[in-house]
Amino acid sequence: MTQAEIKLCSLLLQEHFGEIVDKVGAHILQTGSQPLRLISNDTGTPLDQVKKALCVLIQHNLVSYQLSKRGFVEYEAHHDRVLRILRYPHYIYTAKTLYGDTGELIVEELLLNGKMTMSTAVKKVADRLTETMEADGKAMDYGEVSSTFVRLVDTHFIYRCPAPLEPPEGAAAPAPVAPLLLTSEKDMYTVPKLSMIGKGKRRRSSDDDDDDDASEQQTKRQKKEADSKETLPDDGIYWQVNTERFHQHFRDQAVISAIANKMDQISSEIVRTMLRMSEVTTSSNAAHTQPLSSNEIFRSLPTGYNISKQVLDQYLSLLADDPLEFVGRSGDSGGGMFVINLHKALATLASATLESVVQERFGSRCARIFRLILRKRHLEQKQVEDFAMVPAKEAKDMLYKLLSENLVTLQEIPKTPDHAPSRTFYLYAVNILSSSRLLLQRCYKTVANLIERRLFETKENKRLLEKSQRIEAIIASMQATGAEEAQLQEIEEMITAPERQQLEALKRNVNRIDASENQVDETIFILESYISTSTKP
Amino acid sequence: MADIKVKLETADLAEIENRILELCQQLPHGITDQVIQNELPHLEPQHRAVAINRLLSMGQLDLLRSGTGLLYRLKDAQSSGKMKGSDNQEKLVYQIIEDAGNKVASRVDFTLVMLVSEISCWLGSSVLSAGIWSRDIRYKSNLPLTEINKILKNLESKKLIKAVKSVAASKKKVYMLYNLQPDRSVTGGAWYSDQDFESEFVEVLNQQCFKFLQTKADAARDNKQSPMIQRNSSFASSHEVWKFICELGISKVELSMDDIETILNTLIYDGKVEMTIIAAKEGTVGSVDGQMKLYRAVNPIIHPTGIMRTPCGLCPVFDDCYEGGEISPSNCAYMSEWLEF
Repeated sequence: MTQAEIKLCSLLLQEHFGEIVDKVGAHILQTGSQPLRLISNDTGTPLDQVKKALCVLIQHNLVSYQLSKRGFVEYEAHHDRVLRILRYPHYIYTAKTLYGDTGELIVEELLLNGKMTMSTAVKKVADRLTETMEADGKAMDYGEVSSTFVRLVDTHFIYRCPAPLEPPEGAAAPAPVAPLLLTSEKDMYTVPKLSMIGKGKRRRSSDDDDDDDASEQQTKRQKKEADSKETLPDDGIYWQVNTERFHQHFRDQAVISAIANKMDQISSEIVRTMLRMSEVTTSSNAAHTQPLSSNEIFRSLPTGYNISKQVLDQYLSLLADDPLEFVGRSGDSGGGMFVINLHKALATLASATLESVVQERFGSRCARIFRLILRKRHLEQKQVEDFAMVPAKEAKDMLYKLLSENLVTLQEIPKTPDHAPSRTFYLYAVNILSSSRLLLQRCYKTVANLIERRLFETKENKRLLEKSQRIEAIIASMQATGAEEAQLQEIEEMITAPERQQLEALKRNVNRIDASENQVDETIFILESYISTSTKP
Repeated sequence: MADIKVKLETADLAEIENRILELCQQLPHGITDQVIQNELPHLEPQHRAVAINRLLSMGQLDLLRSGTGLLYRLKDAQSSGKMKGSDNQEKLVYQIIEDAGNKVASRVDFTLVMLVSEISCWLGSSVLSAGIWSRDIRYKSNLPLTEINKILKNLESKKLIKAVKSVAASKKKVYMLYNLQPDRSVTGGAWYSDQDFESEFVEVLNQQCFKFLQTKADAARDNKQSPMIQRNSSFASSHEVWKFICELGISKVELSMDDIETILNTLIYDGKVEMTIIAAKEGTVGSVDGQMKLYRAVNPIIHPTGIMRTPCGLCPVFDDCYEGGEISPSNCAYMSEWLEF
């Protein structure tokens, strides 16, 4: 873990969970596994605060605990999961595009709460939706929300959290120091049968009438817990967002958009169909999808496109012939079998990202040299000049610039053991993996910088923001009591025109920085997935 | 017995030599072993070798290598005539420069002639020469520098040799025979004028080639044919591009197909074009060795990536930037400008 990562993690924790959680979280990130007392001592935080902070972190799956050999519990933070906080907007947006407003709210609630039971999530979402529909006087049906929930589970976007082991029947054994959590593969994506009837309520209504409906659905284990009053039917079954599945979706989208950019819409639609068909059959880290025959693809194509089998075959062979090699031909049975080379695609996207960085930072001449070395693997300086058709002096300048930024590497191959420069080959090469790592760190620092700047902007205008909030509150309360128009006007004028302008500018700036954070995260995503696929065996 | 044979040969030798010289005069382009064999069927190979060796050592014949074998030709009377009035040292230097006439010339062991000879195959003035550097002349001739300079000046004034500046090193002068053309490694080919790389010229050609391929690709996309035809019609062979560029007339110098392919290669490295090689029938326009290079314009697969759309992506002082420092995100001028934009 690097300094840039820790810095970014700490900023994210602070922003989302506050000062204390940040202190505790950053400390565990920096030091690795730590027991409770040590955390409390080292951070100088009271024990109960540390406990609460750890609870928050565990609830959000950012920290895990483990029984150490010596018998005490150690807490460990996962920086990769902390960094995913950056991607939350993207998850929520994806859920919205796939499953509409309901899906969006479900995912949002789950992300905000870390883990949730289905019933609470459904209720909360239905309530929120009902509130937005206030104007029409309609209410959101629980059944509808829970069916969206089930669909999200079925497509693996949500999965069940590991549950604690059942204590042995009637055993008097002391409770374990740390509960052991287990996931059963079978149950991971099975939704408990819930019959949730009712509609979303406005804020003031209470929840007590729902409990009777579902009481008969309790499972054996839940019966035991049913002693405590008002348990929900699916108590103990918690759900969380499956980030891996979302990542798989993002990756597929990246591949599809690359195809759409390079070739055309229809090709990308075919690839989309292929990816959708293999979504569930292919594991998220497989190098390529299961082979699909052209007949199968033809049957699964969306009907709107009106592509004949013949044209489809042409498209498929074009895709397979393309130097991009995203689609590969794996056999001839069933009208030709096709796979999508996922790892290859990620590698291509990563190198395209690097190329784009070189292009933007150093100009197109440099990008030419960079791509040239990438294609030819190892080149001498003279060869670079000749192939790239760049004047010797400029080429030298660019190569050295790239070298000093660590985007290209230099390999010495001496002809004699004395390493005399005149008798040594100097070969330039590009190492995509290490350059990607480098760029990734730059991305982390960039996001951290953007957050810092955003905090700075809001801090600068703190007084103004507070004032405008206060005035808005006053206006709202006056409207509720039915004040006159003239009075409202008067209060609104308490914010002067320049102040209003400043507020506008601030809002625009914050929005722009927010948008940039998300854009940088796209780069981070591509690089992270490429690095993880190319380093795993 | 042996003595008699030798004497017999010596008597004949002069006659054989004369016959060979006659043959050479009849065929000024040179004769092969086969010709000699046909004209003098009774001559034994050994005798022939002895005769030719004598002629070569007397400087009356030249040994050349042609595509099929060795070629004998009468020594250029003109060049030996030119050398009249020169002393030995001058002849030596001239010889060295002549030998260096072609880089590809290599030492050949020729057992039949039993003569190891530096073979330079030069066929008139169309030969390209890499020339020889004055320092190499000095090493080969073992003459002092001042002497060499004097001789070179002398030969230059007689228009026997000329000096050419090399593009590889602007201070380096190479010498070659007056009637030779400098090689591409010396002049740098079409891309150089007076030792300067014409990067603007290259850039213009690069853009024009891309424009040509781009129009072709656009046209292919617009005609709404089946995808296969669409793709295939977006390809253009290097010959087509070459013709287009020639007809445009933007180049004052004659460009070869190879030159255009070099330009097209730069487009590949720009990521704007891709190339495939297909098998073509021998004799099809634009095919080389039964294959044809096809090029087509392609679109990039991604837009500028996210990080490059922030000021930090391009920031020159990125590594020195940290909160609380002289350069920090809060007081970053680039970021302020970007936010105001």
